[in-house]
Amino acid sequence: MRRILASIALLVVGVSLSAQNASDLVLAEVLVENDSSIVDDYGRRTGWIELFNNSQGTVNYAGCFLSDGKVRYMIPKGDARTKLGPRQSVVFFCSGNSEDGTFYTNFTLQTGTTLMLISNNGKTIIDTLSIPESLPVGFSVRKTAQDKKGMVWKTEAEPAVPTPGVINKNGNEKTGAERMAERDPHGWILTLTSISVVFSALIILWIIFGISGRAFQRRAAKAAQPVSEPIKPTAIPDEAKESETAAAIALALHLYLSETVHDAESFVITVNSSGAENHWPSPGRNFRKEKL
Amino acid sequence: MNHIIDSLQQFWQFTGFANCAWQNLVMILIGIGFVTIAILKEWEPLLLVPIGFGMIIGNIPMFPGLNIGIYEDGSVLNILYQGVRQGWYPPLIFLGIGAMTDFSALISQPRLVLIGAAAQMGIFGAYLLALALGFAPNEAGAIGIIGGADGPTAIFLSSKLAPDLMGAIAVSAYSYMALVPVIQRPIMLALTTKKERLIEMPKPRPVSQREKIIFPIAGFLVTALIVPSGLPLLGMLFFGNLLKESGVTRRLAETARGPLIDVVTTLIGLTVGASTQADKFLSGKSLMIFGLGLLSFVIATASGVLFVKFINLFLKKGNKINPLIGNAGVSAVPDSARVSEVVGRESNPNNHLLMQAMAPNVAGVIGSAVAAGILLGFLG
Repeated sequence: MRRILASIALLVVGVSLSAQNASDLVLAEVLVENDSSIVDDYGRRTGWIELFNNSQGTVNYAGCFLSDGKVRYMIPKGDARTKLGPRQSVVFFCSGNSEDGTFYTNFTLQTGTTLMLISNNGKTIIDTLSIPESLPVGFSVRKTAQDKKGMVWKTEAEPAVPTPGVINKNGNEKTGAERMAERDPHGWILTLTSISVVFSALIILWIIFGISGRAFQRRAAKAAQPVSEPIKPTAIPDEAKESETAAAIALALHLYLSETVHDAESFVITVNSSGAENHWPSPGRNFRKEKL
Repeated sequence: MNHIIDSLQQFWQFTGFANCAWQNLVMILIGIGFVTIAILKEWEPLLLVPIGFGMIIGNIPMFPGLNIGIYEDGSVLNILYQGVRQGWYPPLIFLGIGAMTDFSALISQPRLVLIGAAAQMGIFGAYLLALALGFAPNEAGAIGIIGGADGPTAIFLSSKLAPDLMGAIAVSAYSYMALVPVIQRPIMLALTTKKERLIEMPKPRPVSQREKIIFPIAGFLVTALIVPSGLPLLGMLFFGNLLKESGVTRRLAETARGPLIDVVTTLIGLTVGASTQADKFLSGKSLMIFGLGLLSFVIATASGVLFVKFINLFLKKGNKINPLIGNAGVSAVPDSARVSEVVGRESNPNNHLLMQAMAPNVAGVIGSAVAAGILLGFLG
């Protein structure tokens, strides 16, 4: 029963993850009238659509649909190239003939239409992008991330210079190093901040282990206080020594026969007595000395 | 006969002799130098032998296009090098370091943890100097981490911030780690008085098993919540330590601190060495990185020692800290702690500082991982 429930749970999780993957795709950029941008495999300058994988995992978009509102193009299944890596993009040429290849749609692009990316169930609209009537020749309409984590994407109001295959950045988006070069050219802010953080982290550790150390010391001191009648040390009786030897031999035989420890054996088992001291609770032998 | 001569001439074009440049010879000689130092002087042989031999491998001149070079996609060396480029090896080494490190010294004397923080000044001192010399902030951050005296951390951070400089940074970090006794001793002697060197510190208290188990969990939560970008290094370090201290995962801990770390150290050393191909390595930038790396070690050592002297101003007599353990704030475990012990015994043969020095030493490992996380967060 448990196995059945676990299988159902895995199936549900798997399906939901798959759906989540497809939903991470973004219609990132569209160029309708291509006069100077990239050419397709046939040397033509056609309009194109760029899809961007907004997630940190690989997305297989086979079976998903691209549509201009009138015609749907199903991205073929069985093509290994339909897997899109994290933060990667792929360009579909809108030649109007899907027989040109996997990355060629069966419709051409027109201004004033709305493009849709539809999930492989044929119903769920993953993303849309409206192409303005006034989009100039040679310019694209694109979306850029509006937050630092790159989760919220919004269509830019102004036409853009096409950047197929490149992550769309808005004008203010810069790398951490670029930001620091502008804000802190001499490095003092970062230095002082970083040293403060390093010290803070280690001071917190100091406080935690200072307090807990004192608590443990108090507890150890309490435990070490003599009980009403001191226990007299007694010698280990011979029978006990014999039983320990027997236990050691039994353990050695068990480990040998269960074949979980040794790859090769010398076929000689030696048990050496190490004196009267009892080593069983020794931490060195992986037995805890103290009760946790 | 002509065919044979043509074949031989063609074969000659494929040999290393025909493609050899003086830069290749220089790098091969440096590689031989590393191996020689490691064998004769026994300076960090586990690192310098693989790095040195890797330098020799990486600088054998070859006919391009044979798909055997470390920078040629799909070659065996290139595949092994991905562990460096993608940053897989350093966290695995941190797992092994965690599984072999005993944090008892730190748990029993938590005040010494601050020395591990002070010694990270070397990282930021080198960062400031690198910026002043015209390096970009991301490059300066990658160079600065050399001052942490932690090879895996240096590789991890430089692979993220400045992959082009990674070879020079890694070789510089490991070289100076091997030279810790040579670099640190004169600085320690110059910054301390005879009286200070004689300070005796109380023995660390015994630490219970429960405290040792709590440490990696609490330590990880505190540091990772403050600096999540250091997660790969901090997570593996504390996880390895939990394997060691839990008492129930002995086989995993032994694998992590034994075969696993040996395999990864071999691969990281060899591939970092092989990545120092003359055309990519021999440049003015590399020389500057070596210079800045040395300065960062000097600043780190001096900061640790001076910080202890500063703290001593506020401590009562009998509770003072020997400033000779200040150098151990860098994370070259256990070499810098060993230097504290040796220099301490030169002044007083009965004064053993090793256990006290191990506290800032392991704090330095945590501190440098935290510093790397901060730099990655700001500059990545």
